[in-house]
Order: sequence, then C-alpha cells, then structure tokens
Amino acid sequence: MLTSGQKMFIVIATVSLGFVGYLVFPTMDITAQEQPEVFVTHSGAVVQTTGDVLDPVYTIQEVEFDPEKYLRDFDYGKVSKLEDGTTLREFTIIAEDDKIMEIAPGIFYNVWTFNGSVPGPTIRATEGDLVRIYFINNGDKEHTIHFHGNHPAEMDGIFEIVGSGGGQFTYEFIAGPVGVHPYHCHVMPVEEHIGHGLYGVFIVDPKEGRQQADEMVMVLNGFDTDFDGENNLYAANTIPFYYQHHPIQINMNELIRVYVVNMVGLDPINNFHLHGTLYKYYPTGTDLVPSFFTDMVTFSQSERGIIEFEYEYTGRYMFHAHLTEFSDKGWTGLFYVKDSSQLNTEVYNFGS
Amino acid sequence: MEVKRSSSTKTAVSAIIPFVLLAVMIGYVFGPGSELISFGVVIPEISIEKVEFVDSEIIATVRNTGPIAVDIVMADIDDMILPAAIEPDKHLERFESAIVRIPFDWNEGQPYAIGLTIDDGTRFEKQVDVAAPSIQPTIEMISYFAVIGTYVGIIPVMIGLLWFPFISKLSRSKYKFFLALTVGLLLFLGISSAEEAIETSAENLSDVFNGVLLVATVAIVSFLALNYVGEKLKKRAGASKLAGPVAIALMIAIGIGLHNFGEGLAIGAAIVLGEAALGAFLIVGFALHNTTEGFAIAAPMARTKLMIGRLAALGMIAGVPAIFGTWVGGFVYSPLTAVIFLAIGTGAIFQVIVLIMRWIQNEEGKLSNSSVLAGIAVGMLIMYITSILV
Repeated sequence: MLTSGQKMFIVIATVSLGFVGYLVFPTMDITAQEQPEVFVTHSGAVVQTTGDVLDPVYTIQEVEFDPEKYLRDFDYGKVSKLEDGTTLREFTIIAEDDKIMEIAPGIFYNVWTFNGSVPGPTIRATEGDLVRIYFINNGDKEHTIHFHGNHPAEMDGIFEIVGSGGGQFTYEFIAGPVGVHPYHCHVMPVEEHIGHGLYGVFIVDPKEGRQQADEMVMVLNGFDTDFDGENNLYAANTIPFYYQHHPIQINMNELIRVYVVNMVGLDPINNFHLHGTLYKYYPTGTDLVPSFFTDMVTFSQSERGIIEFEYEYTGRYMFHAHLTEFSDKGWTGLFYVKDSSQLNTEVYNFGS
Repeated sequence: MEVKRSSSTKTAVSAIIPFVLLAVMIGYVFGPGSELISFGVVIPEISIEKVEFVDSEIIATVRNTGPIAVDIVMADIDDMILPAAIEPDKHLERFESAIVRIPFDWNEGQPYAIGLTIDDGTRFEKQVDVAAPSIQPTIEMISYFAVIGTYVGIIPVMIGLLWFPFISKLSRSKYKFFLALTVGLLLFLGISSAEEAIETSAENLSDVFNGVLLVATVAIVSFLALNYVGEKLKKRAGASKLAGPVAIALMIAIGIGLHNFGEGLAIGAAIVLGEAALGAFLIVGFALHNTTEGFAIAAPMARTKLMIGRLAALGMIAGVPAIFGTWVGGFVYSPLTAVIFLAIGTGAIFQVIVLIMRWIQNEEGKLSNSSVLAGIAVGMLIMYITSILV
C-alpha cells in the first residue's frame, strides 16, 4: 500500500510532467492525416505537405472584390441633357468605414470604402460635362471626396467636412481637364483615410474621343495591415498577386490602354514595368501626344497617366513594379495575349 | 467502516464546493453574454522559436503565445511573400505550435528575416544572423556529439575523482573544509544554472511563459522531488554505515549530471547555430570547470573504503548526461526544453547543497565552524576564477 505522502507525490509528479509535456509537445497529433496537399513554388518546384498550404492565391469564388470586374468597369453615371445642351452625369457615392475585407487570402483588414469597394467606382465623363455627385457618409468618422481637377474651392472636399452617420453633400463641377485623375477622402489624417481605401479613379475623356482600344484601370495600392508604418502588401487593384494567378486576357495586335493611378501611401515612389513590348506614356493623360515611349515609368504619390501598347506575339507577359520589394509583396501580374483571329480553344494553365 | 466512508465523502464534497462556486462565478463574469469585462483590445501574438535551414527549404517553428487562437496565413523571407506549407495545420490554439516550411534557395552564411503574418494582418519576424545548414542526426553527427560530451562531461569528472586518495588522507578539520568547499562549488554551479535558465528564457522565450517564474517553479519542484527521492534512498540503504556517504555522493552525482546535461545543451545548440567559436569556448570552459565536479563527488566518500567501481559509476552518472545534452541541444533544441532542463538542474544542485550541509551538521554538530565557512568561500572563489579565466 502506498502512504498518503506517496500518493500525493505521484499526483503532483503526474500533473507537472503532463503540463510540461503539453508545453513541449503540444503538436502531437494522434488523429490520422488526410490526403497530402501539393503546391508549386515560384521557381516551379512541386512541394507536398501533410498540413495547410500558405499561398496568397485567390480563387474567383472566394474573392469579395473582383479585380477581374473592376479592371474594365467604368461608371458613366445617370446621363441627362440640360436645357443648354450640356450633358449632366449624376453619381451617388456612399462612404463606409466598418467593412472587414479579406484583402489577401486569410488576411482580414478594416477597409474604408466608397460604394463598398477599394478602390471606389471608376467615374467617367467627357470634358465639359456637368458632373454631380451625391455623397452620403454612412461611416462612423467624418469623410469627404476631394477630386483632382478643375472646380470651385467649395467643391474641393477640404473644408466642407461631411459628418458621420448619414451626412450628405453634393459635389458639382464641370469635368476637366482631360486626363486620368484620382479622387479620395481628404479628412485629416489623410494618410489614414487613403491607407484604409478611400480613393478611386476619375477619367475625363476628350470631346473628340480617343482611338478605339481595350481599356482598363489599374490603381496601384498598398496596405499597412499591422500599422508599423510600412506596407505589408502591394497590388494593382488591391488584391496581391491576383493578375499573376488570373492573367488579363488581351488580343494580339489590339491597342491596349491602361489608366494607371498610383495611390500607394508610405512609400515615396512606385513604378510600372511591362514585358515584351514598350508603351506610349501620357503623363496625367492631359495631352493627346505621348511624352515617352518606354517600358518603365516612375510614379510619385497620386501621380498617374495613360499607357498604350500592342503585342506583336501571343503568350504570357509580366507587368510589375520594378521595385522588387513591391513585386515580392504582390504588385505583379500577367497579360495573356491571344490571337483573336483564331478560335479561343486553347486550354490555358493558370498561374503555373 | 460505513461511518468512515460517509465522512470521507463529506470531506471530498466539502473540498469540491468552493471550486464549483468559483467556476460558477468565473463563468458568470467572463462567460458568453457577460458584459462586465468588455473593455480593451485582445492582441494576438505568435513567436518564431526556431529556424532551421535544410535542402532548399527554411523551416520555422512557430508557437501561439498570445491570449487568443490565431490562423497563420502568409509566410515571407526578407519581405518576399512565398508559397509555403504549415504542418499540422494553420490554426493555432493558445500555446499550440506548428512547423512552417518555406521552399527557398538560401545561401549559407547570409542573414535572413523570416516573417509570418496572421489573419488580422500582423506580421511577426525572426531575424537569423547567419544561415547554416541544420545538423541532421546522422551516425557521424551522433558520434561526434558523443565524443564532445565525453570530453566535457565524463573525462573531467573522472579526473576530478582522482582527488579521492588525497582527500581520504586529510585530517578531520581539513576534510570538513573540503566538504564545505564542495558546497561552495555547488552553490556557484546552482546560481550559474539558474542564471543560464533565466537568460535563455529572457532571450528566446515569449513573455507569456513568465520565464523567471517558470524557472523558479520547475527548480523548486525538482528540489522537492529529489529531496523526497533522497530520503527514500537513505531509508532503503538502512543503518549501514557506508550507505550514508554513498547515498549523498549519489545525490551529488545526480545533481551534477542534470547540470552537465544543461552544459551539453548549450554546447550542442551553439554548434547547431553555427557559432563555432562559442562552441569551442564552451567545450574548453566546461571541461576545466567539470574537474571540480569530480572532486565534489569524491569528497563525501573519502571517509569510506575506496570502492573504485562505485566511484567510477558515480562519475558516469554525473558525466554521461553531458552527451545526452549535446544530442538534445544539437538535434531537437527548443528554448523551452532548455529552460526546463536548466531549471531542473538548478533545483537538483540546491537539493544536494542542503544534503551536504545536513551531513556536515550531523557529523560536526554545527555549521558556523571556521573551516566550513572558509571552505564554502574558497569553493565559490575557485569557481568564479576558473569561470573568468576560460
């Protein structure tokens, strides 16, 4: 028979050994593993794991904000004619600041949005149109919309702060000058309001129009998800690596026009490099004659422009920041150039 | 019998009632639906405890050291976001750990920062100063570590045991002095073990483990457990005159063995981390240091007949753990195991000190004897001086 002292000793020893054992080997798993998963590294190696794969690959089903759709989505507003023949374009933009969005697979971030997405809608008008924007602030904080371009001081979105919980303001101005401009919230601290996603693109077309092209918008943006003053993720159109895994399909020998707007905060510059061809560059899109023919343009904060190019050959071509830090953190993508004269029956292997 | 059972049931119930009430109160205050404590923000935390470099892969061991469960969702090397795998799975409960495998062609000798991002977007980083291929437990490496463990642990202790004939010829008061000297040596070793444990926990363990309190708790539990075992050992040895000194020598050997295990850990870990200079320094330092440990084992046996077999066995008990230490440190190092072993060693050494002091008191009647005090002081000084000389 054991004495009570011995019993006590055994109990204490068992409990403490058990606790230490748990601390040292908590991952001991007695359940059987399921089918091993497989993933592909950036250099093409295939790796097998019995656990979970950590890879920022978004599938179309998972994504809340669809970069595919945003790319070629232009909002021309509710169009009507005024008595003097001027075109009136009316838009409603609602600001919110309580959305949690999965901005990269598994990473949830509090985004502040215009019309529910980052970036907000791409607003498009022709030079000379009357643009009227009904702005409603449904957020918990004060917000405004500050448009780049020509307008009266009281339409500038600086001093006319729009209160939270349903505050309203109507911005009205004549669209101009021709070009591609950002709009964004201008409430202090601006860095914070932009960093959380309150921005979008405003395109003013020339009256005579531009040459027919496959047009798209790319907002270069970044997110500092842990608020350490450094962006954790970069992208063209919010989702890191999205166009890398879902290449943008374009046609060979067709003019491609991309409206590029750099909204990255915290870093002083960004850039846009294209593979396999060079592009004509129109700084701010204000001139109809290109300033450069290049494959590399540098953007400061809120700097923007129009790039135009065509591909002579089919295949996959990268476009990305030539700052490797940005491309390593997600600002990279692919164009998949097809020959439109042939039937599109080719089976394409995405992302490999 | 009936009466006794019912009373013991009553005792059990009366012991449980306060726990039940406490559980109810905690459930009410902190449980779901309670709004009493809803202030503040819970901040998740993970710690990257270990980084290993193998063939075209970097392997990070990560532990959830925060107050809430987290998901690990992204891995990067030097801010380069890379496809990776996490095993067994990406969801980590409190204290749970996992292994993140990041396929990457790393370069030897280069520094790397390993980053992991959790579901709320917070990135945690571990800086590795020098990438070195992680050591695999091959036969060559196992025997290499065994040889080092032998040089550090077994041989110096055996050399120290050779003081046996010298001690056994000493007069009574000089003998007391040397026994007390042993206490001084052990006191120094105990403090250095504790310091090592606390240092390791401060450098490599997350705050959530309460490093100092972990060391204190483990050390005291090990002290009490060995005390209990020691008493049993003595009782079992019975009235035999030889048994007392041998039992004490055995306890000393066990305590020193645990301490040497810690030394082995330090050497193994230093070699694995590619810190060749530190490894070599530790080997020489510990080897010199450990001859004094042989002396400590020999001293209490010096009044008995020379039993070479037993003495050698005790030497092995004290020395061999150094080999196990180098294996553990070299192949399965984790800061938590290191801290726990060092703390166990600390408790063991202090237990041995108490044992020897009690023995001196039984033999001599009092401890405040000048030769005893001088012995302890000289023991500490010897250790301190050897520790700064090497």
